[in-house]
Amino acid sequence: MKSTAVVGTAAALPGCVRATTEAELHHQTDPLLDPTLLKKILEAAMSRGGDFADVFVEDTSGTSFSLEENKVRSAQTGFGRGVGIRVLAGQKIGYAYCEGFDPQRLIETAKTAAFIADAKPGQVADLTDRRTASDMNLMRVDPAAVASVTRAELLMRGNEAAHAFDGRVKQVMGSYFDAAKRVTIANSDGLLINDYRVLQRLHFVVVAEGDGDRRTGFHGGGGRSGFEFFEGFPPEQAAKEAARQATAQLGAAEAPVGEQTVVLANGWSGILLHEAVGHGLEADFIRKGTSLYTGKVGEKVASELCTVIDDGQLPGRRGSLAIDDEGAETQRKVLIENGILKGYLVDRHNGSLMNLETTGSGRRESFRHYVMPRMTNTFLAPGTSSPKDIIGSVKNGFYAKNFGGGQVDITNGNFVFEVAEGYLIENGELTRPVKGATLIGVGPEVLKQVDMVGNDPELDAGIGTCGKNGQSVPVGVGLPHVRIAKLTVGGTKKSMKAMV
Amino acid sequence: MIDSQAIETGKKCLAAAKSQGAAQAEVYIENGKNYEVTARDGEVETLKNSESLGLGLRLFVDGRLGFGYTSNFDPASVDAFVGEVVALTKVTAADPHNQLPGAGILQSRNKAPETFDDKVASLSPAWAVDAAITMEKVAKGFDPRIKTVSSVGAGTYQYDVAILNSLGLLDHARSTYLWAWAGPYAADDAGNGQVAYFFDMKCFADELATPEEIANEAARRVTARLGADKIDSGHMPVVFSPEMAAGLAGGLAGAANGDMVFKQASFLHDKLGASIAPANFSLIDDPLKYHGTASGAFDGEGVPTRRLPIIEAGKLNLFLYDTYTASKAGTRSTGSAARSYSSLPRIGTSNLYIAPGDVAPEKIVGDVKKGLYVTSMMGRGVDTVTGDYSRGAQGFLIENGELTQPVQEVTVAGNLLEMLPKIDAIGSDLTFRGSTGAPTLRVAEMTVSGR
Repeated sequence: MKSTAVVGTAAALPGCVRATTEAELHHQTDPLLDPTLLKKILEAAMSRGGDFADVFVEDTSGTSFSLEENKVRSAQTGFGRGVGIRVLAGQKIGYAYCEGFDPQRLIETAKTAAFIADAKPGQVADLTDRRTASDMNLMRVDPAAVASVTRAELLMRGNEAAHAFDGRVKQVMGSYFDAAKRVTIANSDGLLINDYRVLQRLHFVVVAEGDGDRRTGFHGGGGRSGFEFFEGFPPEQAAKEAARQATAQLGAAEAPVGEQTVVLANGWSGILLHEAVGHGLEADFIRKGTSLYTGKVGEKVASELCTVIDDGQLPGRRGSLAIDDEGAETQRKVLIENGILKGYLVDRHNGSLMNLETTGSGRRESFRHYVMPRMTNTFLAPGTSSPKDIIGSVKNGFYAKNFGGGQVDITNGNFVFEVAEGYLIENGELTRPVKGATLIGVGPEVLKQVDMVGNDPELDAGIGTCGKNGQSVPVGVGLPHVRIAKLTVGGTKKSMKAMV
Repeated sequence: MIDSQAIETGKKCLAAAKSQGAAQAEVYIENGKNYEVTARDGEVETLKNSESLGLGLRLFVDGRLGFGYTSNFDPASVDAFVGEVVALTKVTAADPHNQLPGAGILQSRNKAPETFDDKVASLSPAWAVDAAITMEKVAKGFDPRIKTVSSVGAGTYQYDVAILNSLGLLDHARSTYLWAWAGPYAADDAGNGQVAYFFDMKCFADELATPEEIANEAARRVTARLGADKIDSGHMPVVFSPEMAAGLAGGLAGAANGDMVFKQASFLHDKLGASIAPANFSLIDDPLKYHGTASGAFDGEGVPTRRLPIIEAGKLNLFLYDTYTASKAGTRSTGSAARSYSSLPRIGTSNLYIAPGDVAPEKIVGDVKKGLYVTSMMGRGVDTVTGDYSRGAQGFLIENGELTQPVQEVTVAGNLLEMLPKIDAIGSDLTFRGSTGAPTLRVAEMTVSGR
């Protein structure tokens, strides 16, 4: 997961209602391309044979604003539309896309995708299974309908709040983004389904300077909801949190290195699960046998305190989707239950080769990309310990309050997290801030080291982006406070506990 | 190819921008044609084909910036599109630095470096199919411990760009690329697996490593990794392989970004003219490099490019600027505007490299009594604000001048400003993989965190 995002609270929005305006309903019921043309495209895709073909039609528009040096620096709008066509033949995938909706070019693109097959034409069912995805977007006010000035004003409000928070705040950079993506998916089994997806995100980066030191803080939030999201998540709050982090880190001591007891704060720390476990449960790695979780269903892969869930159905969340990018409904999928591995994240292609049903985990960045099994919102179920007891139980250790991002090698489970805000724990209390720490470990080992799980579950505020094979998709992560008995902290401190 | 019809749409955008009140406007058009093949079990696994065409419009109304992009080239939708972009400028702040590059700057041009190979343009996907299947076979045959190949493939990309603006600029460039990679998976008797990758990318077909070379190198790497383990924490010399040293080059260039410097958000902001590295250390960004994969005669704003010695003989020599940040900083653009049609110009690098030294890489390792040789890293790298550097590392323990135990699950940490003066050996083996290059580097002492 590549991200410069942080944990925070995105309060549930009271009084939100689902979008039911006529315009919205219109969005959701009309396919982006005429069904007759879609059928012709599918026939061209199956013209050389194959087991299955699908067409992903997308029309996206978005707006973004950026703030720097106390002013709104740029305003952008973008429009992208195009079609991705896929043919599956045994283990083979043919994939082609083109921009725009020109019928002749779409047929040619479909024939290009068909290139991998070399048999008699395959069957294409009539597109009779016509549906519209349930509306997951908690939207009262369509962001696109809000005046540009009002949207950009969020940035100026945050800027003011960050500077007012502390005189040591030197730079505030902010970004606001909203997008609406219309999707139509048709396949050779006769499915024709439409979806309408909104997404928005507000993010601040603050640089503070003092005592000859410079530090950065980040905070933001967003999700699949309307502009009223910012009533519950005011920009002042986000920018102040970024300023708090930056100033709190000024004068931080160097991080102690070596193995120690580590407590993870709740919320955004859920990237631990995402990196250390989630990627290793994606069906493509499992099918190829390159994940260390291959063949481990039913085995104990974590401490019994660990129940890990991937849930694409949480309303309004950044990682949520009513249907995946193959048209399958997303699920609440228990991946690990009380430490026992229950199953994988499965897309159609890998599932069909592994005799597994899809879990609605087939995702793609856009029509320009092919489908891979991916996570949605991934989190650890709550335990019974209070956060106070968890921190209080540690005599000497490390408290990771906030993370920059992380990365994993799914083959051997090696992961790293950059700690954006960390503290020493001394005699059960958070004492000094420390800088430049990195957590490194092996996923399954770390989950076995989890020996306290908090009763304070929280999802991140909604700015995580996961990168895999060059494709970025929005995701959510979550965690209660968690104690890890032993984990390696990397840093620069000269005097070390474990000198060679 | 960007045809005359697309250029006409671009010109229409400029005209519409002018008539709707923009003092200046610029259109950036990109066309890409790509295929990529991966193989599995001796057959094609995926074959991906694509063609894309997009247009970005940047304009200034009363000193206010607006930007939009679209893939819709229908002349009938130009007015509405431009109208949306012009309307957005109501939101942004007026800024005297919001200007296109001066007409005088735009007129001078270096001879365009060659980046287009007819041979690549005429290669069919059958080439990539053969290369991918061959690499898989060679990798699997290298060692019985190689059980499968996680990912193996090859592809080509033809790219075509046009920039035009209201000062009369109209320029084109085109490039070809081809690449191949192999990522074999090996496991020891206990079932502990590793994957290692090797890849190559070039503009010219005859310069690409052969499928056999790529597969063999990837296979050599992955089998050498078997049995990797943590080591104890300590301070020790760290040797960076050329590919990992290239990551340091990227981190340094990120801190030489004139925008971050202007905002004092770079650890190099007050170091211009200072000696920050040993006298044999130079960091160069060379957009005119012969057959470089990022070579080009003009940048994302049409400004002519030139060779940029960022660090020369250990001294921080210059910062990188685009037109806007140069104007704010009271200097001139260095031709460093990176760009895609869907994004505003931002400061970036082209063919970035650390200049080679004169020490054989074997000697750099051979002179170390106990240290770490780093071949692969994880995590973000350099914190541009502070210079702090902390990454997960994999590689080998060096004992008495020899690579011994494979290592994983450790971090290597330091601060770039403290690390640079401690570089005590620079290899003669400058290696480019893609657009960034470096030789083997040794840092006399860093903190390695493990057990």
